[in-house]
Amino acid sequence: MSMGIFLSAVLLMAFSMVTSKRLNALIRAFSAQSFFLFLITVFFAVREKSLELCVVAVLLFAIKVITIPHLLFRIVKKIKTDEGAGLIVNPTLSLFIAMFLAYLAYLFTGRLLPLQDRMQEAAFVIALAVTLIGLFLMVFRMKAIAQIIGLLVMENGLFLIASAVSGGMPFFVEIAIFFDIFVCVIILGMFVYKINKVFTHIDVNKLRELRG
Amino acid sequence: MLYFNIIRSFSLDPLSVFFLAVIALVCLPSAIYSTSYLKGHYSAKKIILGWIGLSAFVFSMMLVVTANNAFCFIIVWELMSLVSYFLVIFDSEHEKSVQAGIIYIVMTHIGTAFIIGAILVMYKYALSFDFAALKQACALMPPRIKDLTFILLLIGFGTKAGIVPLHIWLPYAHPQAPSHISSLMSGVMIKTAIYGIIRFAIMILGINSAWWGSVILVIAAISCLVGVIYALMEHDIKKLLAYHSVENIGIILLGVGASMLFVKLNLPVLAVFAMVAGLYHLVNHAIFKGLLFLCAGSVYKATGKRDIEKFGGLIKTMPWTAGAFLIGSMAISALPPLNGFVSEWLTLQAFFLGMLSSPVGIKIFMGILAAILALTGGLAAACFVKAFGITFLAMPRSKYAADAKEVPFSMKFAMVFLSILTVVFGLGSSVIIKLLTRVSADVFAIDAKAMNFTLNNFVLCPKQAGGIYLSTPIIALALFLFMGVTILALYLILGKAKRRTGRTWDCGYYKLDSRTEYTATAFSKPFRIAFDFFLLPYRKTEKIRESFYHIKSFKYETHTTSVFKIYIYEPVVKLILRTATALKKMQPGSIHLYIAYIFITILALIIFMNKF
Repeated sequence: MSMGIFLSAVLLMAFSMVTSKRLNALIRAFSAQSFFLFLITVFFAVREKSLELCVVAVLLFAIKVITIPHLLFRIVKKIKTDEGAGLIVNPTLSLFIAMFLAYLAYLFTGRLLPLQDRMQEAAFVIALAVTLIGLFLMVFRMKAIAQIIGLLVMENGLFLIASAVSGGMPFFVEIAIFFDIFVCVIILGMFVYKINKVFTHIDVNKLRELRG
Repeated sequence: MLYFNIIRSFSLDPLSVFFLAVIALVCLPSAIYSTSYLKGHYSAKKIILGWIGLSAFVFSMMLVVTANNAFCFIIVWELMSLVSYFLVIFDSEHEKSVQAGIIYIVMTHIGTAFIIGAILVMYKYALSFDFAALKQACALMPPRIKDLTFILLLIGFGTKAGIVPLHIWLPYAHPQAPSHISSLMSGVMIKTAIYGIIRFAIMILGINSAWWGSVILVIAAISCLVGVIYALMEHDIKKLLAYHSVENIGIILLGVGASMLFVKLNLPVLAVFAMVAGLYHLVNHAIFKGLLFLCAGSVYKATGKRDIEKFGGLIKTMPWTAGAFLIGSMAISALPPLNGFVSEWLTLQAFFLGMLSSPVGIKIFMGILAAILALTGGLAAACFVKAFGITFLAMPRSKYAADAKEVPFSMKFAMVFLSILTVVFGLGSSVIIKLLTRVSADVFAIDAKAMNFTLNNFVLCPKQAGGIYLSTPIIALALFLFMGVTILALYLILGKAKRRTGRTWDCGYYKLDSRTEYTATAFSKPFRIAFDFFLLPYRKTEKIRESFYHIKSFKYETHTTSVFKIYIYEPVVKLILRTATALKKMQPGSIHLYIAYIFITILALIIFMNKF
């Protein structure tokens, strides 16, 4: 039962990210989503009595719930950009699109994998929806930080897919992915910082020089 | 499955050994030549690069002809193409070299794509890349698939060999490389494509039907004519030589194609003989084309120009180069007793003997081919009269030619070495034919011990006993004897030659200088007119008059239309560029749009998935 609540919370946080207009709200929602993901992992770890999953959960908490949001908050503060995430479509429409994506994920799951366990099926649907919403955030938000968060949300979705389908990826792969994500955020943060310094904005919409 | 024993992937058989010998014969003098050629032209760093490139090039060619595994073959083939590309753009500071390099690498990769296609088709049946396994599998292949594979191979290797109309890269790439590299590319590299055709089409795939040989013969005949006609129109000495490579590849393929046809006509002796002719011309062309490119390089080094209209009178300042070039020209024009004569004569003989023992349709076909070959030889001679005469005779046409100096010893050595080879391969033809018979018998897996291929007593089939006699030493002896007797007679009749110096009669103009000399353009005019249906020449004139009666200056330009470029390549290139421009709109630089493409693709896939 608690599993269902956590899963819904993950999806809910994705929706809240889609509707949030400000960067800080976006980061906070991401942090909350990661927290619920952490709870799901702990739930799995307890159920399976696996030490490895415990380590993964701890890492998830340390990196995604605390460190990365902290880093992102710092970047936002440092570059003194205006708060807006730069919405291309307004929150209401975004929410509708996100819901449509979730529905699509549901349809897809039904046809693709006839999963026996209803909870597993729900987990898969939500994971796929979250991944799609992450991609949606990358496309329809102008600020570079929103792109980073979109990527992270996609990663959350993939993590959930892995847990839902096969009970998590191999331990070392999981660790490597965490490390990857962490480094990725640091590098991307530096890029955003540089972009801001050179162009005095982080509006991806205006970076159009590189083309064929 | 994909584990390769590197050592076991390379092996030798008679064909490989023959090609290794050809490579070694031309590479050695080229390497010696390059020591002086590179000096002064390039910086020390560039010279080291040049040596590394040369060694890698030679090494890769040697690997190509020894690979016995299709997978390794493709790798070393590609290595050879890439190394030669870097050698083409060796003078990378010239815009033209870079352009030539682009044309070359695009064409060579198109060719490689076709070769890979052919090999994959064969692999599908063999499930192994080993040549022996491929051969076994190809025996069971359906004939349709065999035909397809043959066409893929022909296009693939034909691009590298420079058969018409895939020759387009050759006159750009060969002249732009440094001269010793040109001599290797023209002399040896394009021959590896012939190796590929023999190895894959004849030895592995096995000749399926008679039309294979006919197709090769037709293409070869066209290549001969087109190559030599374009060479006649060309005034850049290295480009001229490059076009002659197209022609000579045609002659080699005439031999190879004829042998393929004879196999299917069930004339094994003639098949072996035609293959001998083809292989003989292959080694001969490697020698004299290498020689001619080295001579052209010497002239280029001495004058800094490649346009023969700017040369003239070089025989006085560069006697060694002139002598070597003359020998090379005589060989390529198939004058007895030099080597080019022997192989072209053998090819002609193959056609004549084929006519004797084949059905009527093929008789006519062979007759036409023999005529084309003879015409090619004549035109080649005309072309080299032009190339030698304009370059080395008369008075210097520019100050570059007037200031020319003979090249250093190592370059002279390389040229003289190849000139001697030219003569040796002409005079020693009977020995060489014996050796080549073993190679070509191995190609067709025919026992050639019973075949007697000595030239002096050339018995082909029992029923044509005592047909043909040819001995180059005797011809040489006769020639020298005849010349000696003539000179002696003249001496006896006229007495000692007296030297008189006088003006050339100039119709009272009194101001003859080098500008009034016969030019290469003028020399080639009759041919331009004779072949105008193909060359489509046009001219531009520009008169500036002071009055109706007095023309102050007159400008005359004449050009020929490059048919293949305009009617085949340009439409294709235009189409590709137009498509690319249309597709470019997809890429406006917006990162959001790029991510959106991924997004849309994923959504489309999900929806598409739902349909099933």
